[in-house]
Amino acid sequence: MANVLDLRRRIRSVKNTRQITKAMKMVSAAKLRRAQEHALLARPYAHMLTNVLESLVRRTDLFNDETGEIMHPLLVEREEKNVLVLVIAGDKGFAGGFNSNIGKAAQRFIDERRAKGQNIDLEPIGKKAIGLYKKRFPAAVYDHTEELYDNGLAKHIEDIRHRAAPIEVAAEHPRLLVKANFEDVTAVANSIVARYEAAEIDSVYIVYNEFKSVISQRVVVEKLLPIRKLGAHEITVVTEMTEEQKEAAGKAAQESGVSINVPEESVAEQEAKKFGTNDVDYIFDQAPERLFRHLMPRYITTEIFHALLESIAAEHAARMTATDAATKNAGELIDKLSLTMNRVRQAAITKEIIEIVSGAAAL
Amino acid sequence: MAESGNKSELLKVRLVTPDRVLLDATAEAVELPSMSGYLETLYGAAPLLTELSAGEVRLHGGSAGEQVFFVAWGFVEVLPDRVTILAETALHPDEIDPDEAQAELKHGEDLWHQAGDDQVKYDEANAVTRVAEEKIASAHGKH
Repeated sequence: MANVLDLRRRIRSVKNTRQITKAMKMVSAAKLRRAQEHALLARPYAHMLTNVLESLVRRTDLFNDETGEIMHPLLVEREEKNVLVLVIAGDKGFAGGFNSNIGKAAQRFIDERRAKGQNIDLEPIGKKAIGLYKKRFPAAVYDHTEELYDNGLAKHIEDIRHRAAPIEVAAEHPRLLVKANFEDVTAVANSIVARYEAAEIDSVYIVYNEFKSVISQRVVVEKLLPIRKLGAHEITVVTEMTEEQKEAAGKAAQESGVSINVPEESVAEQEAKKFGTNDVDYIFDQAPERLFRHLMPRYITTEIFHALLESIAAEHAARMTATDAATKNAGELIDKLSLTMNRVRQAAITKEIIEIVSGAAAL
Repeated sequence: MAESGNKSELLKVRLVTPDRVLLDATAEAVELPSMSGYLETLYGAAPLLTELSAGEVRLHGGSAGEQVFFVAWGFVEVLPDRVTILAETALHPDEIDPDEAQAELKHGEDLWHQAGDDQVKYDEANAVTRVAEEKIASAHGKH
């Protein structure tokens, strides 16, 4: 049996660990609250943009009467040969099964699509997602040509994609999660839209952890492009939280003072839902094609932005739950070790007394 | 501007950005940089939906007082009693970094030179340049 000194040292070490996990839990709870708020504040804009597009669709025909062409390239459906998958995971570990769940869901989707003979382009967001694919799959290769025009001023730039492997990493975004900046997401979305319009990819999916509240989350694969119905989330694969996970998350949230309810809609959000849909005769002074061209890429941007914000909230929630469990485990371990230590100490004392007593009896 | 001190005749103005609701106030008049030029709305205006280009949204009177926001691309819904502005970027003029705006202008010009014979790229380059120019103008308060 270990001696008292060793046990005491061990207890001290576990106590330190508990202190750290407890602090991490509090930090995650605070970050979660902020992330939740950010997601909530971002909603009116998304509602409004979707509404404008919807009312535009209702007012105009999606097909051009004369040419029969579809109004916007993002509405065009092609046979899915090259599929782009955006995978949003976290930047850091210590978040329970958060990162691995995303990885599993993405892998299942990739396997499914590979079985159909489709090529996959991966675009991981967050350091953990990048780490998952960077070593396993080659990066996409582009042939970059620059050609100076005769006038010597303008340049003709062309990038041609050469697919070498069935699964490639098209781009990676390590810093997107840190600030969750709309401008950065715009750049990502624009690049995706450009590739879709150039028919380099035929469909776009996004794998992320949806977050309604701490106890209502799921890992989903959502179809981003082509757009079939505005404002509708087309979800194909779902992993729900188990009852145990919900319970653990709920407890962790309660102890950290985070609400487990789905937050109520603000007035601004309710009104945002009515944006552009009032029952009046609006003057609409731009041509629908032009409006479509400007609105569609932004719709994609807000969809990605929305997924990003929810994923960030989910990551903090997962970390809060994981560190809460770690704190509890540390507590239990300390109790157990203390009991052992007391027993060992008592045994030593008892042994000494017996020795003295039996020594005295021998006299 | 006609004297309309009556409280019931104020427009409700809301400015929404991707991150949050930036402004929720009332005003007597709102100037908007629409795609087809600046327009000013007063209480009782006809319902209108229009796209905003880069420029300044200016609010006059009401609880907003005199306020100016630089916006780059947006959408606005005008109803008789309210104006709701959806703006991709909205900044106070003193939040604008002139050096950064200059860099953006340079970037726009570069894009223009690289556009070649691609009409879409030209439009994009022009849009970037326009936003940068408006930003610089707004930063210097020379409107």
